[in-house]
Amino acid sequence: MLGLFILLGASVALATAVGSVDIPWATVGGLLFSWLPWIDPPRTPETLATIVLDIRLPRVILGGLVGAALAMAGATYQGLFRNPLADPYLLGVAQGSALGATIGFLLPFSGTVMGLGLVPVLALLGGLLSAATVYALAQVGRALPMTTLILAGVALGAFLASITSYLLIISGHQLHGILLWLMGGFSLSHWGEVKVLLPYVIVGAGAIYLYSQPLNLMQLDEEQAQQLGVHVERVKVTLLIAATLVTATAVSFAGTIGFVGIIVPHAVRLVWGPDHRFLLPLSCLAGAIFLILADTFARTIFSPTEIPVGVVTAFVGAPFFLYLLRQKKRAVF
Amino acid sequence: MRKLALVVLALVFLLSACALPAPAPGEITDQLGRPVRLDGPPQRIVSMSPSNTEILFALGLGDRVVGVTDYCDFPPEALNKPRIGGFSNPDLEKLVALSPDLIVADQIHEKEVVPELERRNLPVFVIDPRNMDQVLESIVLLGRATGTEAEAARLVEEMKIRIGAVSQRVAGLSPQERPRVLSITWHDPLWTAGKGTWEDQLISMAGGQNLFPDLEGYKTVDLEMVLNRDPQVIIASSGHGEALRAPYLWARDEPRLKGTEALKKGRVYEIDADIVSRPGPRLVEGLEEMLRLLHPDLNR
Repeated sequence: MLGLFILLGASVALATAVGSVDIPWATVGGLLFSWLPWIDPPRTPETLATIVLDIRLPRVILGGLVGAALAMAGATYQGLFRNPLADPYLLGVAQGSALGATIGFLLPFSGTVMGLGLVPVLALLGGLLSAATVYALAQVGRALPMTTLILAGVALGAFLASITSYLLIISGHQLHGILLWLMGGFSLSHWGEVKVLLPYVIVGAGAIYLYSQPLNLMQLDEEQAQQLGVHVERVKVTLLIAATLVTATAVSFAGTIGFVGIIVPHAVRLVWGPDHRFLLPLSCLAGAIFLILADTFARTIFSPTEIPVGVVTAFVGAPFFLYLLRQKKRAVF
Repeated sequence: MRKLALVVLALVFLLSACALPAPAPGEITDQLGRPVRLDGPPQRIVSMSPSNTEILFALGLGDRVVGVTDYCDFPPEALNKPRIGGFSNPDLEKLVALSPDLIVADQIHEKEVVPELERRNLPVFVIDPRNMDQVLESIVLLGRATGTEAEAARLVEEMKIRIGAVSQRVAGLSPQERPRVLSITWHDPLWTAGKGTWEDQLISMAGGQNLFPDLEGYKTVDLEMVLNRDPQVIIASSGHGEALRAPYLWARDEPRLKGTEALKKGRVYEIDADIVSRPGPRLVEGLEEMLRLLHPDLNR
């Protein structure tokens, strides 16, 4: 765990130090630590300070938060559904967000709510609404059978995705912007987004971590867990709400970044085992590191142009995961 | 056996190559170099792109246009014409039902749509201009295809005079007097017009330099690269309505752009996306507008 923390620090440092503009490491370091009282504020041009502190740093931190959120939510869903293919998109959250964002792009007016653009706000609303709809549809009496939930999520997701596709066709010259959003990315991330996302991730992560032991017990059998004193339905609902809220917020800023939520938890499970008390926090850290590095790659490889980070996550992540799978030769789930 | 087939194939190619330069009577060559067969001046013309619609109306063929795309909104009379669907995805059924005797297509239709239309024996004329000279050429070609050579010649002459006036004004500018221009097509993600785009050509023709001459086509760029290259003028392509103005509003209000020369001098402008991106007669308007924005002092 400590190792991962150090790795996270190193990733943040590396990601802040490299970019399409070459800035000496010493300058970046000086800028990053200039708030410390015993360090002389370096004499750097205003532009470089803006690049490091207002463009790269918020982007790196947002990337880390989104990566952490998606990986943690993925680990939670996989544990809850006892299904290795479960990921944050299974409940229609991403499709709902995508539809919300697309509508935001196409509305004939723009505006800001709490300092945020129309697109992320509608994306968040869309994600939460579709998740709520799926829960309502999947409820059988007072229980929430997991298979019913997945089926409802997949069906509603497909329905929403079809509307998005239709809107894309009629979107005219906005098509490019929407497509890039759908592929996910952190272009133009700013501190305002970090400020909004941070509390969600912290609260969500806390709530999920509190239930890691019951989640372990539920891996065997829901009835057995019930007999061991776990309030199964309460655990399910709390975890679902926490994971969904975190996912929807993350997706609303970053667009639909696939792959992180499904693969990072499995990679962590392969290396450190299936105990949720470790799996959840480690997935958080690994997800953050993975997405920060992927985004650094996305914005530097074809500089000065950028590619959507969603393209990079699967392209570099999948081979790495396959390598782990061969190396460890262990059953994944 | 295989060798023989190759020889035959080569012969066929040779013969068809010989046949190309001399079009048969009643045939004209479009901008892709394809021969198009026409029986007399076309009376029912369908336009498959907004720029082609603008050219056809400018040539006085408005009455003969029987179909346009959903995006054809200029001149306003074009809005009353029957629609054939989107630009890249026209409705073939509707198109055929209009029984056109000339379809004016765009290069993007070459791979899928044009072969489909030709299989139905519909004459398709493809317009594919890449620079201002080819825009003029496309007007001449379309004039020839529709029997409006005189109108085309007059239109092209007028455009040439206006283009000449702009080049004359910027001719004496030194490289230092040509401002670095960031052209914004969309702001989130930040999307700029590199080489080979109409915006890029208009910027250099109007005495400016594109901030990203190293990019090809429309590309997303890093905000940090923009700050590093420090644009002196920012021009956002925008349309009507508030959401379409979003790129301009963003450029004007984005705090991280405050340090650029463009923001410090208040040189953030918006330009009608249609006049800088449609290769039709109005491209000259775009050029004149660009000159007005880049060199207000030269424009008297």
